[in-house]
Formats: sequence, structure tokens, C-alpha cells
Amino acid sequence: MNFTISEEQQSAQQLAQQILGDFTDVDKLKALEQRQESFDTGLWQALAKAGLLGLDIAEDQGGTGLGFYSLTTLCEEVGRTVAPVPVIPVLVSAAGTLRRFASDTQKDQWLPGIASGATLITAALEEYNNDDPTAPSCSAQKMEGGYSISGTKICVSQASSAARILLSAQTEEGIVVALVDPHASGVTLNAQIVTTGETRHELVMTKVQVPTQDIVAIGSEALAAMDWAHLATRTALAAMAVGLCDKMMRITGQYTSEREQFGRPIATFQAVSHRVADCYIDVECLRLVTQQAASLINESHPAKDAVHIAKIWCGNVTHRVSQASQHCHGGTGVDRDYPLFRYCQWARQIELTSGSSAQLTGELGQAICAEYLSKAG
Amino acid sequence: MNIELTAQQKALQLEVREYMKTVMTPELLEEIKIPEFKEGGGPEFRKQYARMGTDGWIGLSWSKELGGKELSHIEQYIFTDEVVRSGFAYPFLTTESTTPVIAANASAEVCEEVVGGVKQGKVVIAIGYSEPNAGTDLASLTTKAERDGDDWIINGQKMWTSLANFADYVWLAARTDPDATKKHKGLTMFLVPTNIEGFSLTPVNTLGVRTNATYYSDVRIPDKYRVGDVNAGWKLITGQLNIERLSLFTHGQVDSLYQGVCEWAAQTAAPKGGKLIEQPWVQHNLATVKSGLEVVKLICWKQVWTMDQGPLNMADASVAKVYSSEFFVELYRLLLEVMGQAGTIATNSPGAVLRGKIEFRWRVGAVLTFGGGANEVQRDIIAMAGLWMPRTR
Repeated sequence: MNFTISEEQQSAQQLAQQILGDFTDVDKLKALEQRQESFDTGLWQALAKAGLLGLDIAEDQGGTGLGFYSLTTLCEEVGRTVAPVPVIPVLVSAAGTLRRFASDTQKDQWLPGIASGATLITAALEEYNNDDPTAPSCSAQKMEGGYSISGTKICVSQASSAARILLSAQTEEGIVVALVDPHASGVTLNAQIVTTGETRHELVMTKVQVPTQDIVAIGSEALAAMDWAHLATRTALAAMAVGLCDKMMRITGQYTSEREQFGRPIATFQAVSHRVADCYIDVECLRLVTQQAASLINESHPAKDAVHIAKIWCGNVTHRVSQASQHCHGGTGVDRDYPLFRYCQWARQIELTSGSSAQLTGELGQAICAEYLSKAG
Repeated sequence: MNIELTAQQKALQLEVREYMKTVMTPELLEEIKIPEFKEGGGPEFRKQYARMGTDGWIGLSWSKELGGKELSHIEQYIFTDEVVRSGFAYPFLTTESTTPVIAANASAEVCEEVVGGVKQGKVVIAIGYSEPNAGTDLASLTTKAERDGDDWIINGQKMWTSLANFADYVWLAARTDPDATKKHKGLTMFLVPTNIEGFSLTPVNTLGVRTNATYYSDVRIPDKYRVGDVNAGWKLITGQLNIERLSLFTHGQVDSLYQGVCEWAAQTAAPKGGKLIEQPWVQHNLATVKSGLEVVKLICWKQVWTMDQGPLNMADASVAKVYSSEFFVELYRLLLEVMGQAGTIATNSPGAVLRGKIEFRWRVGAVLTFGGGANEVQRDIIAMAGLWMPRTR
């Protein structure tokens, strides 16, 4: 048992903190928002230069190979700074899956470009009313030289700028994981503005031809790939929420310590300080379940229950800390000139991405039921 | 980062789990049905406690000089967790909390008598801190000890002196300097043998278990029973509190309740067919319990791991206390809801589920959120030590 990270991982996290801090002062974020941009490409290049895009990419493919856990600490720092960079879809859902399930040729083709910042591969894991990429309703038909894919994915990040979009579709013999070129014939991208303010896309595919070289996995291997992507994405979201909520809570602690009403800082009212203390407890709980899920994935140990639990906490804690922070700020918190609104928007986005707490609690309950019914014989 | 028990730690866990099955004899299971012996103190309890001593299971965390094995905090926690899981009323406050402090501060003669006795599983010590007017504000206690030659004369009353009805000593905090400028500076610790003249008690029957009010009327004890320096008692009291909490909120005790209810619900028919566990609302409660339990486990592991590295951070210790105490209470409710009316059937009545354990734990659990430091005080500490917020008024 060990609750510390290695020195190498620590310095990667510190480096990320420093770079993300430099790029996310309020004026820079505002300027991007005014240009209606939701991706700071300059920051992405700076992260690439520092080797931080390749934390979970093997050295052979231009990464540092520090592993999945280290990548989740980057996600945590991105959450802490609400930095507009697509670390989860690109580095976790897409690159992480490719690293583990793609052919050597595909890895050589795509991963070095992701690590260097030259190429974006994103992922489209969700459909309407379905966050489970192991059971897609998009369909694929085998054809000469590849597959033909039809169906719709939603809220896809970087869909228009990515070289490929990693996604799954159902065939007659199980699922297939494919890299779809957003510029291929049959692809329609419809802009979707989401809670964070970011522009994402509805990806509509009508008989999109995907050549064999862009097929990542089929059958049981594809199932394993999407299972991994699902667990890893949820865990990365929880890690991002740790940074996000930790920061929101600290902003609130500081604000209430300075804001005076009735002639004293409002933090000296227990009704206020205890609400912030509750956020502290929540964040610590979220941190622990997230660290557990991330370390299990990092060790390639079974992580399903741990990830379920982490994402349940993630949804609950993002909601509670966000509402408490808004409440304790009064009107200041909702003002777009004050930084808190970004955190609250991200909190809701993360909460509803890749399965809500209610849904996951239901699924965990079903798993418990199956476990104990089988024990009871 | 690797949040799993090592193979060695898992082996220890299994060893203790198996051993404790031999401690929970059929005789003991019968004995603890008697309300008076629920928290220990019966003849079979005494017998098994002494056997644990003979088998070398007491004082694992103590120094080798004291005959201990100097187990790490993690290993000590694994032991504690399994002992509590088994349902044995092991006197943790005696073995883990008070005895090491006594060993470090008492005279050689008293050490041999008390520490030696504990090691053999023959001595149980009750804690005498709280008074009718000194609870969360403990330093305001008024039970006094006055020097008389080589002796001390103790007068006063203690409240919630649990286990005093069968304990051999009370670990007593008394005021020795009524004029101290700061009230926590005038306190001294004593060991009061419970068979001594002037000591008496009356039972206090609570929502959960029996506890006691203890009275000290011109109790005369020799100076050898003073532990630590005169007026230096406060640090002996506070030094123990974290250790005390480590045995209060362990994972195993509530995890076993959760597992028990899952098994029960998987075997119990639902009114309209199928098993109870197939009902969505039952699954919801069980999943909510499981998500919360996971954090209890991780908080415990993180705390003991941290204690093996150095001192425990104040805010983190308070997080553990608040979260665990409030979750335990919630867990009892969620599990009782699954059982419905059957959950109200008490231990010795026919139809009691899991021998009525959860109904009983709920009763005992009422003290958790204020015992060992009220949660309001813990939240004050979190805001100050964790978030640097100003002191509340």
C-alpha cells in the first residue's frame, strides 16, 4: 500500500501545474471565450513541448510512458485550472485505447503525432441515451476493404479538427472499434453548444466507408477496448473533478474569509464555514475513490466496481461542491467577471458525461444483485 | 500509488479472521445475548480475552520492550478491523489507547501490574474523562485530586464511564491545580482500581448499551497510581484521541453488516415473486451503502498509511471522524430500510434478521456523531486547519 506518487510523476504534475497556471489567467480565458474558441492550441503545444501529452504513450511512440495514473494527475490539474484543452477525449479515450488495443502500425501512425501535438485523435463514446461504448447502436457492415458505418454519436469534442474519431459500432458478429475520418464522405457534423459553453458536435454517419487500416479491433478485442475506454474515461473525469472541486472549495474558503457582512467575515459564521468544511470532506472522499480507481487501472487490475464508485462520487461531489460554492458567494459567484461560473459549468458537464450518479448507482445495484444471487445459488 | 493490501498484509488479515472465529465460541455468542454482557465482561468474554493474551495477540503495536511486536499502523489496523468485524468486544481503549501511554509514563511497579495484566488479557481499563458538565469542553472538568502525604484523595463524579462495571481500573483525569491560568494545564492522570474504597457506580441505561456514572468519594490511592507528571495530564489525554478513533470507525464492522444484508436479501422472497435483492429500491440502497463503505475503507487505509510516515494532519483526522460517523448512521438506516419491519425485531426475538445486529448497532451508533469530539468541533477544525478560514465564534 502506498499513497504517494513517484518523483517522476510528481515533477510531471508540478510541470503541468506551472504551464496550466501560466496559460489560464482570467484575461486569457476571457479572450478565448470572446473569440468563441474552446481549445487553447497554444497551451496544447506548450504541454506537448513539455512532454505532457505523452504521459501515457510509450517511449517508442514519442511518449514518456509514465502511465495511466500519471495521466490522471494531468487531468486533475486541467480541472483545477479549467484549462480549455481536450485531455480526456484525446489523451485518455483515444490515445490510451490505441496504446493498449491498436496494431503496431496504427500506434506508429498516430501516437507520435498525438504526443508531439501535431495530430489530434478524438473519441466519440456517447450516443443519445447511451453512454456505453461496448453497446453502441451505431451499426457497421463488413464490406470489401473495411466497414461501412452508420449512426449518430453526440457531444464529440474536437470533431472537426481531429484527424480521426475513435468510436464503436455494432456488427453482426459483435462490435468494431474504428477510426473515422471526419472528412470522409457520409459524415455530417452538427455543432452542439454544451453546458461548458464549448462547441461540440453531433456526428451523423451515413454509410461511412472505413478502410481496414483504420479498424482498431473487432469482436472480443473491441469489447475489451471499449470497456477499457469507458472505465478510463470515467476515472479521468473523476480525476478532473478532484482538481475542479478542490479549487472551487478553496476559492470559496478564501472568498468567505474576506467577505464581510454584519461587521465580520462571513466565514466566522459556523453555518457558512461548516458548509465549506463539508465540501472539504466531499473532495477528500472523491480524491480517495478516484486514486483507487486510477491506480487499479494503472496496474491493469480489475477496476469495474472501483470506477463505478468513483464516478458516482464524482457526480455527487461536483453537484454539491458547485452548489455550495455558488451559494456561499452570493451574487458574486454568478457574475461572469468572477471565475467561479466556469467551474460550475464544468462541474455539471463532468457530472452528466459518461454516466450520471443515479444511473451508475442503479448499475452498481444490479451488479450487487447478480453477485449475491449467484452466491445464494 | 498502489492502494491495495500487500500479499503479506492479506495473509495477516486472513490469519486474524480465522483466529477470531475460534474466539467467538458458541458460549460467547450465547453470553452476548445477555444485555449486561453485550459489551464484554462476562465469564466467557474473560476467558477468551485471556486466551488472546496467551496466544500473543494483545499489544501487537507495542514496543518490543513491552513484549509487543511493534507492528506498523497498517498491520495494527488490519488486526483491529478483523477483531471488530468478528463481533468480539475486544477492549481496544485498554489495549491500544491507554496502555501504551501508561507504559510510557507510569512507575515500574504499576507498569508490571497494569501493563503486564493487559498483556495477559486479564485487565480491562475504563476511561474516566467526561463529567456531567464537561463533555466536548473536556478541560473544564472538576473532579479533583488532592495530595495527602504519599497518597492522593479523589473526589468527584464521572459520566459515561463505559465498561466500569467490569473494568479493573478507571483511567481518570482529575484537576490537581484549581488555580491554573489555563484550565487544561491543571489536570493529572491517575489509575483508580475499581475495588478501592470510596469508588462506586450506578448504571446509566442508554438508547444503546449500558454505561455508568462513577463516583469518587474520598478515594485514597497511593502516588504510584499517578501517571505522568502532576498537572501534565492534558497531553496524555489528547495524544490518544486519534488512536481511539482508529478503532471506532473501522471498515470491517459495517462491511460485514452490508454483506449480511445482501446475503439475506438474496435469499428472501419478494412479495410479488423473485428475491428481495431484485427490487430496484433495494439495489439502490445497497449500492449507496457500497459506495460509501468504499470510502470508509480508503480513509482508514490512508490514515494508517500516513501514521506510518509521520504525524496525522489535523484536518484529515477530522474528515475521517465526521465522514465515518455520519456515514455509519446513514448505513444503519439504509440497511434497516431493506429489512423493513423485520429490521425492528430485537436480538432475542424470533424472526430477528442477522440476530438483530443492525437494530442494535443503530442504537449504539447514536453516540457516534458527538462522541470522541462533536462533529461541529471537527468541522471547525477542518475549516481552520484545512482551508485556513478564520476561527468561528
